[in-house]
Amino acid sequence: MSAPTRISLVDETSCEADVEAVLDCLRSGWLTMGPRTQALEQRLGELTGAAHALAVSSGTAGLQLALQAAGVGRGDEVVVPALAPVSAAAAVAALGAVPVLCDVADPLAPHAGPKQVEPAIGPRTRAIVAVHLHGHLADAAALRELADARGLVLVEDCSSALGAPGAGVAGALGVFSFAAGRQLAIGEGGLVVAADESHAARVRSLRSHAMTSGTWDRHRGHDPRYDVVDAGYNFRLDEPRAALALTRLERLAGEVDGRRALLARARERLRGRDDVALVFNALSVEAASPAALPLALPDGARRDRFAAALDELGVPSETLPALHAFSAYREVPGGARPQAEAAAARTCLLPLYAALGDDGMGFLLDAVEQALTRTG
Amino acid sequence: MSSGTGNPSIPLFDLRIEDDDLAAVAETIRSGRLALGERTERFEQAFAAHLGARHAIALSSCTAALHLAYLAAGVGPGDEVIVPSYTMAATASAVLQCGATPVFAEIVGRERPSLDPDDVARRITERTKAVAVVHFAGYAAAADRLAALCDERGLALIEDAAHAPDASLGGRALGTFGLAGAFSFFSNKVLSAGEGGLLCTDDDDVAAFARSRRSLGVVRGADGSRDVEGVGFNYRMDEPHAALLLSRMRRLRADVERRRELTLRYRELLAGLDGVLVPYDDADVATCSAYVMPVMLEEDRQVEVSRRLREQGIQTSILYAAVHGFTAYRERFPDVSLPRTEHAARTELTLPLFPTMTEAEQDRVVGALAEAVAA
Ligand SMILES: Cc1ncc(COP(=O)(O)O)c(C=O)c1O
Repeated sequence: MSAPTRISLVDETSCEADVEAVLDCLRSGWLTMGPRTQALEQRLGELTGAAHALAVSSGTAGLQLALQAAGVGRGDEVVVPALAPVSAAAAVAALGAVPVLCDVADPLAPHAGPKQVEPAIGPRTRAIVAVHLHGHLADAAALRELADARGLVLVEDCSSALGAPGAGVAGALGVFSFAAGRQLAIGEGGLVVAADESHAARVRSLRSHAMTSGTWDRHRGHDPRYDVVDAGYNFRLDEPRAALALTRLERLAGEVDGRRALLARARERLRGRDDVALVFNALSVEAASPAALPLALPDGARRDRFAAALDELGVPSETLPALHAFSAYREVPGGARPQAEAAAARTCLLPLYAALGDDGMGFLLDAVEQALTRTG
Repeated sequence: MSSGTGNPSIPLFDLRIEDDDLAAVAETIRSGRLALGERTERFEQAFAAHLGARHAIALSSCTAALHLAYLAAGVGPGDEVIVPSYTMAATASAVLQCGATPVFAEIVGRERPSLDPDDVARRITERTKAVAVVHFAGYAAAADRLAALCDERGLALIEDAAHAPDASLGGRALGTFGLAGAFSFFSNKVLSAGEGGLLCTDDDDVAAFARSRRSLGVVRGADGSRDVEGVGFNYRMDEPHAALLLSRMRRLRADVERRRELTLRYRELLAGLDGVLVPYDDADVATCSAYVMPVMLEEDRQVEVSRRLREQGIQTSILYAAVHGFTAYRERFPDVSLPRTEHAARTELTLPLFPTMTEAEQDRVVGALAEAVAA
């Protein structure tokens, strides 16, 4: 393989097995939730260790369904870390509820733990969202204890953590995303896992208009009549995407291992520098299904210069603003969030996926070192 | 659909994906770009041109399109939206999703099961924000009269054109009469891709609103900066779906033309059959999308006739129950009574109709139906 001159932000490789799986599905003529979606749910249930797994149209839709199943409705509050993808806050707001944005622990350990979440709990709080940021697990067990003690429901946002052992099963419900850049990327898609049948039943119902039977059942000759028992949505996944997910699932373990190995290599090479810090500790890396290489610069100005230099050197990167930096969530409650703001300002998220390979990661790390020298 | 064990030998609908459709999807997957790419834009441009609309925004479903259309019309808690009850629940549930109240209105009658503009006019209150009209089975409702009524009363007209991607009224595409039109690409629809939807509009602000809200409310400044304005959702369509739809659109006109021919033939074969009323007129067929073939039976025959046809290997369905009769709506709005809608919903049966249906299959359906209703 020749040395790359630019790498892409997310993995855009595919293989013929992917193509064949989708074409097979299209040739079958059955495109709406059916046998492939069922098989996918079965496999993902086994993989996550959850009692129930339900495929949905996106991670955002999954969060909305999970929160609604948790009893969140108009006027309720849900505690969400201020450093989280927009979808976590949007799913709360979509239910007419208020996201209360709490701080995170530290720019180098940017999860919200009980210490940050507890002060954000009030009389109208219904649920807590644990966010497994960049595929690194938050302390969901501790948050579950807090939730139980306060009579709240814990929902885990595992949108970028598929493949991290235990993700999604400490909370009452967990949500995964299959959007571009995820460990299992299919375009758009998501999954809700639940421990309780009652939560699962609510998600299953609401994702398809709360209809008491689906098109597949009716096609198979069941009674053509059905009832609608709630105000639901069309948050279904369809069969072509389930087919793609099923075939890509075969490669998930390799993808996660590959990412871990590349991340370990990057950390090894960048360790001990005083101009850049590694986000998350070694223990956290071992348990993660990493979704990016997060690096913290000494301050926001240097982060911006570093990202610009990296881009010139052929390495694109992303930032994750704190949610309350956006107009839509500027006024939400939650108190001061100095750590989340520092993390947002200082952190640069670099590409990380198995297909980068050793060459790609070598190219990336050379670029990081050069960019640090240029911006130092 | 291949007919394996337990499958009907004449299905209600039959979706065939052609080789060029497969090639378009294969090429998209090989490109590795599965979301937020140029195929979605190309499909949007093609669909907008097809409708003669200024903007088309591809979405994850028609339900999502209805939700965004209502929100764009300013529908929120405390508002009312007048909707038909003779429709899929989505038309009404998207109103509930906005925190608003659906107010159910009557259809014209069993012979024309489209929203009745006179009944709509009677239900307008000071809280009404919008009117939603459904082009039932792909036949044009009185969108022109409703548009005039809405204009006069300062309301937004939203067209649920889930059934009508290639239908018109007075030379104008359905979906383009009001503030926004919503289309479905669900697998049993005229133009199908599994799941998918689209919102069309001539209003630049509505288009910008829909584009931002389908993607979590994200807006981009001229300098490339990113902000989130308002509550958004993930209502995006992915690239393989856009590629499939773009490819299948090339056959849309021909498919609908074939559906119309089959519909006219059905009408001829069913004319004069005792106990079977065929809604709409022959003249309506030329400009409709002929999504499905509904017939109205006599009271209490629906399920039984459906079962008899199934025994002959013919799959039928009941297109819609009255939405106000569903548990979710009876609990919220217990006193709704719409006799014409209820009568239609209790007597309608949907017969198989798809572009590749043969005349022999059609003859079998009609023969079996005649036998079943006479039994
Ligand atoms: C009249 C009508 N409105 C809305 C919808 C919802 O469409 P979708 O399934 O694409 O969300 C449908 C079809 O399912 C429909 O028939």
